Amino acid sequence: MLKPILLVEDNPKDLELTLVALGKSNLANEVISVRDGVEALDYLLRRGPYAERTEGNPAVVLLDLKLPRIDGLQVLERIRREPALQSIPVVILTSSHEEQDVLKSYKLGVNAYVVKPVGFKEFIDAVRELGVFWAVVNEPPPGSLKPKR
Amino acid sequence: MTSESTTFDPAASARSECDREPIHIPGSIQPHGMLLALDARHRVIQASRNAPEFLERPLGRILDEAIQDVLGQPATETLAPMFEPFLEDCQPRYLGVVPVDLPGRSALFGLIAHRYRGVLILELEPLIAERPAGIENIYPLSNTFIARVQQTRTLDELTRMASIELRRLTGFDRVLIYRFEADWSGTVIAEDRNDVFPSLMDHRFPATDIPMPARELYRHNRLRLIADADYAPVPIVPADRPDTGRPLDLTYSALRSVSPIHIEYMKNMGTIASMSISILREGQLWGLISCHHGEPKVVPFATRTACDLLGQVFSLQLEAREHHAEFERRIELKSIQVNLLAHMAAEEDYRDGLARDPATLLSLASARGAAIVAEDRCELIGETPSEIEVRRLVAWLSATGEKEVYETSSISSVFPEAAAYSDRASGLLAVSISKLHPSYILWFRPEVTRTIKWAGDPTRAPAYDSGKKQISPRKSFQLWQETVRHKAIPFRPSEIEAAVEFRNAVIGIVLRNAEEMAELSEELERSNKELEAFSYSVSHDLRAPFRHIAGYSELLRESAGTRLNDGERRYLDVIIGSAQQAGTLVDSLLAFSRMGRQKLNYQAIDMNELFRETIQEVSLGLDAGRKIEWRMADLPVVSGDMIMLRQVARNLLSNAVKFTETQPETVIEVGSSSGETETIFFVKDNGVGFDMEYVGKLFGVFQRLHRVEEFEGTGIGLANVRRIVGRHGGRTWAEGELGVGATFFFSLPKRPTDLESRL
Repeated sequence: MLKPILLVEDNPKDLELTLVALGKSNLANEVISVRDGVEALDYLLRRGPYAERTEGNPAVVLLDLKLPRIDGLQVLERIRREPALQSIPVVILTSSHEEQDVLKSYKLGVNAYVVKPVGFKEFIDAVRELGVFWAVVNEPPPGSLKPKR
Repeated sequence: MTSESTTFDPAASARSECDREPIHIPGSIQPHGMLLALDARHRVIQASRNAPEFLERPLGRILDEAIQDVLGQPATETLAPMFEPFLEDCQPRYLGVVPVDLPGRSALFGLIAHRYRGVLILELEPLIAERPAGIENIYPLSNTFIARVQQTRTLDELTRMASIELRRLTGFDRVLIYRFEADWSGTVIAEDRNDVFPSLMDHRFPATDIPMPARELYRHNRLRLIADADYAPVPIVPADRPDTGRPLDLTYSALRSVSPIHIEYMKNMGTIASMSISILREGQLWGLISCHHGEPKVVPFATRTACDLLGQVFSLQLEAREHHAEFERRIELKSIQVNLLAHMAAEEDYRDGLARDPATLLSLASARGAAIVAEDRCELIGETPSEIEVRRLVAWLSATGEKEVYETSSISSVFPEAAAYSDRASGLLAVSISKLHPSYILWFRPEVTRTIKWAGDPTRAPAYDSGKKQISPRKSFQLWQETVRHKAIPFRPSEIEAAVEFRNAVIGIVLRNAEEMAELSEELERSNKELEAFSYSVSHDLRAPFRHIAGYSELLRESAGTRLNDGERRYLDVIIGSAQQAGTLVDSLLAFSRMGRQKLNYQAIDMNELFRETIQEVSLGLDAGRKIEWRMADLPVVSGDMIMLRQVARNLLSNAVKFTETQPETVIEVGSSSGETETIFFVKDNGVGFDMEYVGKLFGVFQRLHRVEEFEGTGIGLANVRRIVGRHGGRTWAEGELGVGATFFFSLPKRPTDLESRL
């Protein structure tokens, strides 16, 4: 079974548009969406509402920066500190152009930093490329399940 | 001057000789009176040899006799207050006129008494054809004088009036007012005379004319009469005090015999009789009222008593005048200070406030020139040395020490090179504002070339009589002129004090300014942070809705596309296009704001390389049909932020490309020229150009000179160029002509240290 994509996005419109974009990418991966940093960590660490979920890390985490409760950078930091999670590819998908955010993200070990384009076509293209690259092309780190093609 | 000891040379050796002359124990008195010395039991232990003539009894019946038996009851009663055992050594007292018992009759004598070193010394002068010196007689003599001197306003008037009144009162041929200078030389500042003597007005006498012991005597003994320079001294017998075996100390004696040197001095001056009245100020000898006569002259006792009184009145008036003058000056200085401080407080930089009102600044120190000197500026006001000279002077000042206020009337005497500009600056008053960054306010006074009329040549060697081991007085009082150079009128104590106060006030303002600056920069930092937070949230939150509009519109077009007619589809396209354009605007604006905040990362940049790469970059996006002739001159290496300057090149080149697209043949030229302090670059095109009338709008944010349909763009490119170049300390400008082309210039300052360290 394919590893899922974890989408962390609090804005419902962005969530919808991203899901549409992912849908248009024809990816077979399941997309799990969560609405803030706490939920994201709950899923990744299999606790709270996700305590019973199947084992295994997602193929990629698409992470927004501005999130309620725990923000994107904090989630990223936690992922990189957790031995079981640290090798998950993380892509920041955000509105922010701010240099400081880009800088902090790369310091914390992000795999890619993508600013959502305003144009929808460009957005769809960007998300598709991301999905294809991280969920399909990219060789996952050893120890994690290989996606079955 | 008529001093009791004298020479005319200011050499130190001469002075010390004079300073040693024992003028207080001459062993004799002048003949116009007699002297009796009494022991504690009121017995006569010493007497002048002329006492028998006055008292009409032999010396044997004077010495060792009780004073009551010598002078009789009435005179002794007058003396009673002097007999008080607890009475300390004291100044002579004029006890008035007393009757003295003579064989078969009684005669009137003026009586002066004082106690000194264990003896009571009585001095008696017979009254010569005059009224008794009672208060009823002294008063009429004095009151005109007092009334007149009180009417005077200035020191000059006062001294002039005093000399006239004293001559009228005493009948001397010449009356001088003589003032001591700081070095104890003396100047005649007022004079009244008849034709007997020449004028000595404004003449200066060397300090050695009135050496230290003489000055001490003047201080103790306020009035001194020498009735006849040709007198025969009257010895005191026995010569030594029986109780101590030493000569009688005549320090306070009015009749004390005159030093032979002084007699000679008087004779050399042609003076036969003289009288001097000491003028004391706050206990110190300020000057003398000196009276000269060409013939012997015994000034009546009552007149002398009046003169003594008038001398004291004069001293008091003098003190009042000087205090008053200083007080007025102080008030004036205060108001000047207040004015200056108000100016200073009103300006951002206190020095601007100081320089704004030059006349007031100068008047604070009655100066003709001033300078405000700090590391970064040197403001010269009025008559001053050149900036280089002032800076050298300040360097010397700050090297000499940490005095907050420095003052001299002759800079060149301590800083020789100042002689070169003594015509502008001989006097200096300097206050230091800050030691950390040497910063001074200086006031200058020009040289006052003064001619001093010395009474005789002060530089001539003294006549030294080796046989007598004594200095001989000078023979000549002929005018000898000396020109004093490199000296200004000294700053007055009130002016120096005002400078100190002023310095404190300035420091107060400087400190306040520093605090305000700190507050301001704190505020600036805060608002910068706010701005950052603002743009951060704009970047997140403002972009999102535009994205959503574009996204959902796109979805609508996809799902409903076939059901919509052409007009409806166009509406959707406009919505999508506008949303995208708004998003781009937000992005440009954020980039522009980032450009202003980002720290510059200086490095050496080869502008050839930078422009060549940028030309390649913009050529990539060109429409297939376009042909551009690039002309690039050899460009220099500069120091700057690589990323930002690349942005500048990109904006200018893409503009040039954009505004030439309507031309059949495009020529774009890049060049530079090197100035003394900056390097100028330009990008020149042969495009549509612009009307110079609108050149001021070119570099503004969102300013466009063309309609959107003509040339696309957000209108922020040139604003970015200006901001980036401005942050490098450079300038931006443009020239253009409609339909001919445009040239955009920018300059970058040369940073020698930077380049050297990095290249």
